[in-house]
This record gives sequence, structure tokens and C-alpha cells, in this order.
Amino acid sequence: MRSTLASIAALLTLSSFASAHEMIPTYPQWEQSVYAGVQTTTMQLFNKREEIEYYEIGVFDEAWNPLRFVTSYSVLKVAYLEHALFDIYMRNSDASKAVYICSRSKVSRRDSVRTAVSSRICSKIKKEGS
Amino acid sequence: MFKHTILSLPILALTAIAAASENAPINGTVQSRCIIQTDQAGTFGNPNAYTLTTSPTDGGDPAVIRYDVTLADAYYAQISIPTSFSSSPTLPDQVTWTGDTTVKTISDATGMGSYETNKLELGDVDRYDLTATGSTWFETTSTAVMGGSKAFPGGNYTAMVTAECIAK
Repeated sequence: MRSTLASIAALLTLSSFASAHEMIPTYPQWEQSVYAGVQTTTMQLFNKREEIEYYEIGVFDEAWNPLRFVTSYSVLKVAYLEHALFDIYMRNSDASKAVYICSRSKVSRRDSVRTAVSSRICSKIKKEGS
Repeated sequence: MFKHTILSLPILALTAIAAASENAPINGTVQSRCIIQTDQAGTFGNPNAYTLTTSPTDGGDPAVIRYDVTLADAYYAQISIPTSFSSSPTLPDQVTWTGDTTVKTISDATGMGSYETNKLELGDVDRYDLTATGSTWFETTSTAVMGGSKAFPGGNYTAMVTAECIAK
């Protein structure tokens, strides 16, 4: 009886965590990259959304204008329950304006009549001295 | 004498381990996190030819989104209602959209009780200041009405709710 209850609790826990999107760090910091005049930071994404396979990365200034950056892929393929580490590179001039690094889930087309939830998590870049 | 020495050795060894571990630092980094979970993506009901709605009384289901936050006062939750279909058949007329987001359930009545009353409504976007740690469930409803009371063509329709978690 107790083991049955424990199994049900575990299943409930698993199901409640089965569709999440997570990105860290919350407050990334720029570091000097190996390239002169280029800053870099590393982010980590975790896909617990079974129906999602792709996440789009974006870097924005204070007014949410998109900024130019370089990463391996601006749309990352992240399988269900997998972590993805990605480096972001920006020129010093752009890095000084960057405020938010965001990842947004890309929702695929499905045969149904529904609302779909696109999740977006934005980390805030920690400036020196803040 | 021999027995006494044998007994003393393990004691000395244990003391050495204790002494060695006494100053061992335990390092750890606590990452603040915001996790967005889709508890229910939502479905449209079709109460008449020209309306699609997530209202349960009309056969739909609203979207339910859960935010888990581990650091107080570090994030905003922003949820946008749909204003267009992301995929649909060719439509015969303009569609009028309405919808709303409300707090459905909270894990901390004291810390989160004012989330709904303090929310900022910015057009189609509702912004909540996540001042407490824990879980908050938000419910987003959506209704699409075809202009001129024309019928929605048969096919698949998807409308997007955007749930954002933005570090302060």
C-alpha cells in the first residue's frame, strides 16, 4: 500500500515536471574571450518540455531591441530532458549594450485545435560593479 | 599490551579522519531559477460556427502555466494572450480576439496573495512581479470570433500564448 502511494506520488511529481523550460545562470557575466575585442559568456538550457525540440536564442538591449551576437546556432536543437551548453560572443561595443539573453521555445505545428504555449526565459546580464 | 595497541590504532585512524575533515570546506553555488512549466496547453471549443474559445462551458480548456521561482523578487512573469493564429486554414474575414490571464493557484498565500491585484496590464500582456519563492499557476483564456459571423473553415487551428520569465 505504502509503495503504491509512493509510486503514485512519484508519477505525479514526474508528470508535474514533464513540461518545463529552464535556463541558467540568471545573471550571466561577460568575460574576455580568446579573441581581441570580443566578450563571451556561457549559458545552459534544460529542456523538460517533451513537445519542444528547438529553442531560439536572442540578445537584447534595455529597450528589447535585438543585438548582433554569435553562437554555434541561434536555434538550438535540445532533446527532451537534455541540457545544452552554449557560448555567446559579442563585440565589446555590443556587449556593453546587452541587457537580456533569452531563450524561447519553438512550437511545432500540430494537427489540432488548440492554444500552444511558447515559453521564454530571459537572464539579465550582470554589469561590472553591479 | 598488544591488544591495547590494536584497539588504539582504529581510534587514532578515526581521529585522523576527523581532524582531516574538520576544516574541509563545503562549497556550493545556489543558482536562482525560474522554471516555466506548461501544465495544460489549452484547447479550443467551438460553441458556434464563428467562435473558438477556451471556455470550459463551451468545450474548451484554458492554458495553465506554472512558474517555479527559487529566488524572491528576482523575476517578472509576463504572459501574452493570443492575437492571431500561428497556423490555420485560409480565413474568410478578420478575427477579433479577447482573452485574459489570471492567477489560478498559489503555493504561498501570504507571499503571493497580492499577485493578481498587483498585476500590470499592458495591452495583451499581463505582467506579474514574482516577489515570493514558490509556485504560481496562471490560467490564460482566449476567444476568437470571426468577423461578420462567418464560419471558421474546417481545419487545424493553433494560437500562441507566450509565457515569459524575465530577470529583474
